[in-house]
Amino acid sequence: MSAREIEVAAARWLVRREEPSWSAREEAALKDWMDAAMAHKAAFWRLEHAWRQADRIAALGLGSSDTWQGAAPADDVEGNVVPFPVERRSWMRTASDWLRRRPASIAAALALVFLTTWFLVNQAERSRPADPEVAATASADPPANAAVVATQVGRRKIVSLSDGSRIELNTATRIRTSMNGPVRQVWLDQGEAYFDVQHIDGREFVVHAGPQTITVLGTKFSVLRDGDTVRVSVVQGRVRVDEPGRGALRSTIILPGDIIVARERATLVREGQPDQVSRDLAWREGMISFRQSTLGEAAAQFNRYNDRKLEIADADAAAIRLGGTFRASDVEAFARLLHDAYGLKFAIEGDRIIISNR
Amino acid sequence: MIDEAELNRWFCREVLPLERALTHYIRRRLPADGDLVDIRQEIYVRVLTAARDGLPNSPQAYVYTVARNHLINLARRARLVSVEYLAELDSAPTFLDLLETDRHLDTRDELRRAMAALEHLPPRCREVVRLRKVEGCTTKEAAARMGVGIDTIEKQLTNGMRAIADFMLGGSGKVRRPARNLKAPASRTAESEQ
Repeated sequence: MSAREIEVAAARWLVRREEPSWSAREEAALKDWMDAAMAHKAAFWRLEHAWRQADRIAALGLGSSDTWQGAAPADDVEGNVVPFPVERRSWMRTASDWLRRRPASIAAALALVFLTTWFLVNQAERSRPADPEVAATASADPPANAAVVATQVGRRKIVSLSDGSRIELNTATRIRTSMNGPVRQVWLDQGEAYFDVQHIDGREFVVHAGPQTITVLGTKFSVLRDGDTVRVSVVQGRVRVDEPGRGALRSTIILPGDIIVARERATLVREGQPDQVSRDLAWREGMISFRQSTLGEAAAQFNRYNDRKLEIADADAAAIRLGGTFRASDVEAFARLLHDAYGLKFAIEGDRIIISNR
Repeated sequence: MIDEAELNRWFCREVLPLERALTHYIRRRLPADGDLVDIRQEIYVRVLTAARDGLPNSPQAYVYTVARNHLINLARRARLVSVEYLAELDSAPTFLDLLETDRHLDTRDELRRAMAALEHLPPRCREVVRLRKVEGCTTKEAAARMGVGIDTIEKQLTNGMRAIADFMLGGSGKVRRPARNLKAPASRTAESEQ
């Protein structure tokens, strides 16, 4: 097969994989095709990468009507690129057209557009215990005999399930599992967990996080509950997140490197963020990783892992942006670092560490 | 052994940005019966196969080395090795120069490129892509909307996908159909022009 023919085959696979009718059998066939030759992988990954870049235009609601009608072919990739089409009005019109057809993603588009951090929930809100809605088929309240596993603050635990899957629980996390039925189910009552799900033909694996339903076949991903907000980050495989109460009728599928943040019926999808996904999973090695987070946000993260809580006394100090990777359990070292790097003062009073500007 | 997801990520992040420079490099040194896309894909295959055992420290240098060696082998097989040709292969500065100007594009540049890619598609192809990307139409829905068969939609999507990839990774983004009949060497060179 010539390179072009392989490309065409890869493109066909990609097109079909996006269809809602994509089945586990086709997934297996794709895997066989990919494994058959490195050239298949190369062609597939290449096209997938570029196709996803094009996704971003749709996701951002950008692409002025000019783009879709075909502007004059002036663009020269060499270097004289045409200016970024900042035609606000046509963009808004296109965005609102698009929004109308995708009500579930309204919050997504808006959040992206206005660059708010609405999805970083007020940390003072405590996670409510799970109250899984009765939705379509398999989702129901956990059976009374569901196994419960929980971790304390600052602890981690690894659970091996009967089907060969593994769940890693992060700090202050509680899950319930029910593996016996046709659908393997886990309820994430609170906290954060990493799932390494064994592929079993015909038996889906479903994670309930509050009203959100996350369905996979054979996959590696993490789920975090933070108040009303649920964040799903994908490491490997495909993950389907259903709109609460709608089952598979209204769902979003995300891929490795993608992150979904869902709150009630709104979902925000961030594609192609493998670095962020890695940062989100640093806890598996006992670390926390930040990139351009405020000190306030960083402190909130540390507080998940430690009984000794950081308090930032000044609004100014809380707004400082920082990045880095830190040992989650060593909050004192972090405080000392803040002192060395930013000149902030810290005072230890019982089980509080108070950080201040003066 | 590097796991597949990591290899994929590395390939997209470190190797694909080199495609434009690599394509230029290959095109200027194309052997008489060589096909640019075949050669480039073969280079990717070799790079990935080796990277699977361990990611190279310097992707650019590595890709360049693989490209150069592969072209030399092809030339040898075609008995085209000459002093001038080898000298051409060794003009490393060309490859690395292009890389400098091509550095990892920032997000705005990538978006700009993606939009330009769409603008370069033929009208019907562009419409099918738009239905898919912006309106989320399935193949069936798009076929109904445009009054054509499912096969046609699929063909337009695959052509569009490939053209977008070619454009964004640094080529002309012309929609190309795969060669059905292997043509004689001389004319194959012409077909490999992007």
